[in-house]
Amino acid sequence: MKEMAPAVPIHLASGLEDGSIGTDVTRILEAIETVDKEALILSDIGSATMNAELAIDMYEGDKNIKFYDGPIVESAFVAAVSSGNGMGLDQIMEQLKMT
Amino acid sequence: MLTIEGFKQALRHAQSEIEANKDTLTDLDRAIGDGDHGINMSRGFDAVVAILDDEYASLGELSKTVGMTLMSKVGGAAGPLYGSAFVKAAPKFGDATEADFALVKEALEEGTAAIKARGKSTAGQKTMVDVWEPFLDGLSESDDFTSKLDHLVNETEGMVATKGRASYFGENSRGTIDPGALSSSIVLKAIMKEVD
Repeated sequence: MKEMAPAVPIHLASGLEDGSIGTDVTRILEAIETVDKEALILSDIGSATMNAELAIDMYEGDKNIKFYDGPIVESAFVAAVSSGNGMGLDQIMEQLKMT
Repeated sequence: MLTIEGFKQALRHAQSEIEANKDTLTDLDRAIGDGDHGINMSRGFDAVVAILDDEYASLGELSKTVGMTLMSKVGGAAGPLYGSAFVKAAPKFGDATEADFALVKEALEEGTAAIKARGKSTAGQKTMVDVWEPFLDGLSESDDFTSKLDHLVNETEGMVATKGRASYFGENSRGTIDPGALSSSIVLKAIMKEVD
């Protein structure tokens, strides 16, 4: 992703505080805090998906935060390249739904 | 009556029971999931016990704090599920410092609705919903809570999972008790014990 869309900021919010495997909703919320105006959340399976949806429900700010439930590698490529080409989040969501 | 102290006692009891059943929960989850349910629940309830030394003004405040703690500490799918249950039960408890059977039941029904919404699940899919929902359905104060819960946990053994990680096992998920159902029975038993 860094090679194809070097200017697109990507935050990792996976794993637990102590580095073990899993998902911590507070880490997703922290990642949301660090983004500028809008962000797309992608997840792999199980608890990551549930935590992503939970983070969006819990987030109270006015940034545009969306979750897309799709294959993480393919979706991340489509989203990163589209974002690098100047597309906004809502357009990227449309793009993802078409692929 | 469930008092604030009783609620705290229930959570401490749940933690020790989860600890005692940690290997069983993990073994069940290894058979039809990813084998981390015992570890995750243990980590989550250890964190819950750590927040019980604080003072709480109401059952609602305590329930919300428990839920938020579980959400961030459990790590697996059980985190958002149990976490949402306690967070959504909190407004039902509200400012009350003690709750009778009827209020506890209503709060747990809110919790069940939260689990179903968060997990996009319904009864019959071999999940924790298969304990929470039928347990509360028609529950009366004179019921034997423990035997009702044990029965529901055992009922999940014959089910085929159509939700969660176990659903990947398809027909092979039959014959194993759902680990989320077992941990649910542990948590619900601990709470109901304090309502008496």
